[in-house]
Amino acid sequence: MEIQEIFCSQTGDKCNYIKHPSGLDIYICEMNGFSTTEALFGTKYGSINTMFKTKADKEYTVVPEGIAHFLEHKLFENEDCDAFAQYAKTGANANAYTSFDRTCYLYSCSDNYLESLKILLNFVQNPYFTQETVDKEQGIIGQEIKMCNDNPGWKVLFNMLQGMYHCHPVRIDIAGTIESIAKIDAELLYKCYNTFYNLHNMVLVLAGNVKTDDVITVANELLKSCENIELETVFPEEPYEIVKPEVSEHLPVGSPIFSIGIKCRPLSGYERLKANMECYIAGSIISDPSAPLYKSLIDEGLINSTFGFEVFDGDGFFTLIFSGESSDPKLLLSRLVDEIERVKAEGLDKSLYESIKKSTYGGMIMESNNAEAVAGNLISAFMSGVEPYDSIKALSKMTYDDVQKTLNERFDTKNLTISVIV
Amino acid sequence: MANYSRKVIADGIGYSTIIDPKFKTNKVQIMFITDLLEETASANALAIGIMGSSNSRYKNISEITAKLNSLYGANINVDIVKQGDFQKLCIGVTSIHNRYALEGEDISGEVLGILLDCVFSPNAQNGEFGKEPFEFRKKDLLDSIEAEINNKRGYAVRQTQYFTFKGENSENSSYGTKEKAQSVTSAQAYKAYQKLLSDSQIEIYFVGPEENNDIEEKISKAFSLINRNTDKINFINFSPVKKEVYRHEEKLDVNQCKMVMAFKSDNKDGYAMKLMNTVFGGTPFSKLFLNVREKLSLCYYCAAGYNQFKGTVFVDCGIEEENIKKTENEILNQLEEIRKGNFSEEDINNSILSIINSLKSVGDTPSSYINWYYGCFINNEVLSPSESIERYKAVTKEQIIAAAESLKLDTIYVMKGE
Repeated sequence: MEIQEIFCSQTGDKCNYIKHPSGLDIYICEMNGFSTTEALFGTKYGSINTMFKTKADKEYTVVPEGIAHFLEHKLFENEDCDAFAQYAKTGANANAYTSFDRTCYLYSCSDNYLESLKILLNFVQNPYFTQETVDKEQGIIGQEIKMCNDNPGWKVLFNMLQGMYHCHPVRIDIAGTIESIAKIDAELLYKCYNTFYNLHNMVLVLAGNVKTDDVITVANELLKSCENIELETVFPEEPYEIVKPEVSEHLPVGSPIFSIGIKCRPLSGYERLKANMECYIAGSIISDPSAPLYKSLIDEGLINSTFGFEVFDGDGFFTLIFSGESSDPKLLLSRLVDEIERVKAEGLDKSLYESIKKSTYGGMIMESNNAEAVAGNLISAFMSGVEPYDSIKALSKMTYDDVQKTLNERFDTKNLTISVIV
Repeated sequence: MANYSRKVIADGIGYSTIIDPKFKTNKVQIMFITDLLEETASANALAIGIMGSSNSRYKNISEITAKLNSLYGANINVDIVKQGDFQKLCIGVTSIHNRYALEGEDISGEVLGILLDCVFSPNAQNGEFGKEPFEFRKKDLLDSIEAEINNKRGYAVRQTQYFTFKGENSENSSYGTKEKAQSVTSAQAYKAYQKLLSDSQIEIYFVGPEENNDIEEKISKAFSLINRNTDKINFINFSPVKKEVYRHEEKLDVNQCKMVMAFKSDNKDGYAMKLMNTVFGGTPFSKLFLNVREKLSLCYYCAAGYNQFKGTVFVDCGIEEENIKKTENEILNQLEEIRKGNFSEEDINNSILSIINSLKSVGDTPSSYINWYYGCFINNEVLSPSESIERYKAVTKEQIIAAAESLKLDTIYVMKGE
């Protein structure tokens, strides 16, 4: 088994990559001087993967919304005891999360990291679902769904996505609905588990206080070789155009909150990462506190310091989001659209381009100071189908002309949805 | 672990350095600690906010951000928190180490200069802050106060604190009230700023990979020009328990009910109290998680938190309306189990392991270092995390039972749908 060192020439950081014979990809970043070990065991299986087949299936299987998240909850329970009870004996702080494109099981610890690693590899590879335990979970997840529905920041995002996407499952809540999770049973959970929790579809990441050789020893002992089942996930055909330009809902909030999403054509792999970085720089040049738009919106009283910009992308979706609080979100929208069009016509400010790029580079250095962020970046690279440190490489190769071109092509102000909670 | 030292550089001003060669960043944090009063909370919050977004050279948020961006995204952060009866106002700056500068810039020197100007040379004239940063921060403060309701869980806990600590400083919000925030003038905010510099307890921290004497020298020099007048702070002020349990119900347009229960104690054994709280509701293997969530499926979250400043434990959960009474009874029942000693040595050991796990990671981020040594300052005793671990290990089962027995139910807050 070969240990491949991946080196980042920009920062001097490095990590080890191992293609394990079981099929699993393993990334390890040894960080001198750190006490904590951060570990994540993840699968490319999130809320958007609702339609799939393997080489053994003739037809595509369609599963209820929220099942990836439900499965995450249930995997913590083994036949004899639950994973939390086992972690309790090592002191590790364990958790899991499901997002649009992934499910990750993680722990962070400062002692006994190999013992905790054994627990992690064991419970994720040994599912145990019965109808009784599935029924019990409906109540707990039902409360989680209700909690999210009372969260205006969550609602404003999903209302926006539903205004943008006709059929791509990014439009559905990660946890599903009370009705959709009622359709989940033990058999369906096993079906999804056996499809997505195949080691060829998974990754193990460790960062911080960790030794590569020790991890490999535990991996050799516990990873069960998997046959590559040639998993295929598909998404319904999604038109370029949005569904509707405006969505509004009433919930108890202070100032109205808004989320403005520009829908773009999806991409994958390095191409997506490159577009993501270019969009991030372009969007920041437009909306950063140092940009002229921000100052005029502050002077007009149309935003406060919550105003921000992000690029939100994944398999089959790519969205540019401006969000914050505003007393008049529609007026703000018209100012934003005018500014995007102005910058397209007049060109991006060169000094802003330079300073935002520098600031982005500084942010990446700061992240490499933190074991949790390092582990998070390694897993994100795997999930996006790129190499570790590709972000910083993409940033260093970026040119002004690339960013201007991306702005002109991707910031389509005729293809946007504004979602408001008042 | 790092090399830590603290010295008093002026009356009521501590300067601490934490040197750890693994870091790639420098962080300087200045904390002002003062009484949390309804009269002054909003003006103080405005003052620190203005300091964090402007100074005499960079007049507003746009100018200062432009400069910080060019210094590789150095960021100034402002934080306003309630700690018991006190308001802690922090301004800090984090920047990458000079060795990562692509064009040989002196990042840390420039960033320190900006921070010092923010604190000692603000955008102000004739006893008032400049209009731009004042208006910007005032709107931000008012919006933040109104947005407290956006996070229902946090809002429920704040409301409960209000009823639990009625008549004490800690009933106040760290931002103050909407009415006060609205009425603060620029001149009042400026006075509050001057008073923070002269009267508050000040703790300053520097965390970086190597010593930097420049920082201490410049900060000491700047403070030496200020006439200081501080009183010693007693951070710990236990709250007296009400004669009768106070119940408050609030109706809002929500899907899920929230319940918060406040229990007060006069037990001064902080290690036993924290360990008891961990066994009760501090982990995913605690009494509350295993019973209220896992066994009875009543909620997604049910957790206990110990407020060491007020000797108070808050238990909070999100539930269905028809389960309110059942959940209340089960939480009380689980507390009773601890009082009766119905928990094992293993429960204690696992809880200690979980505490050890977080204590041993104190040295992994600049912020957790600062929090740790600030905690030492509050408790008036400098301990390493490993010395603290020994104290937890020495806690007996009887001490945990005594800690649980000392808890008296004081307040129950419930948020219901309309």
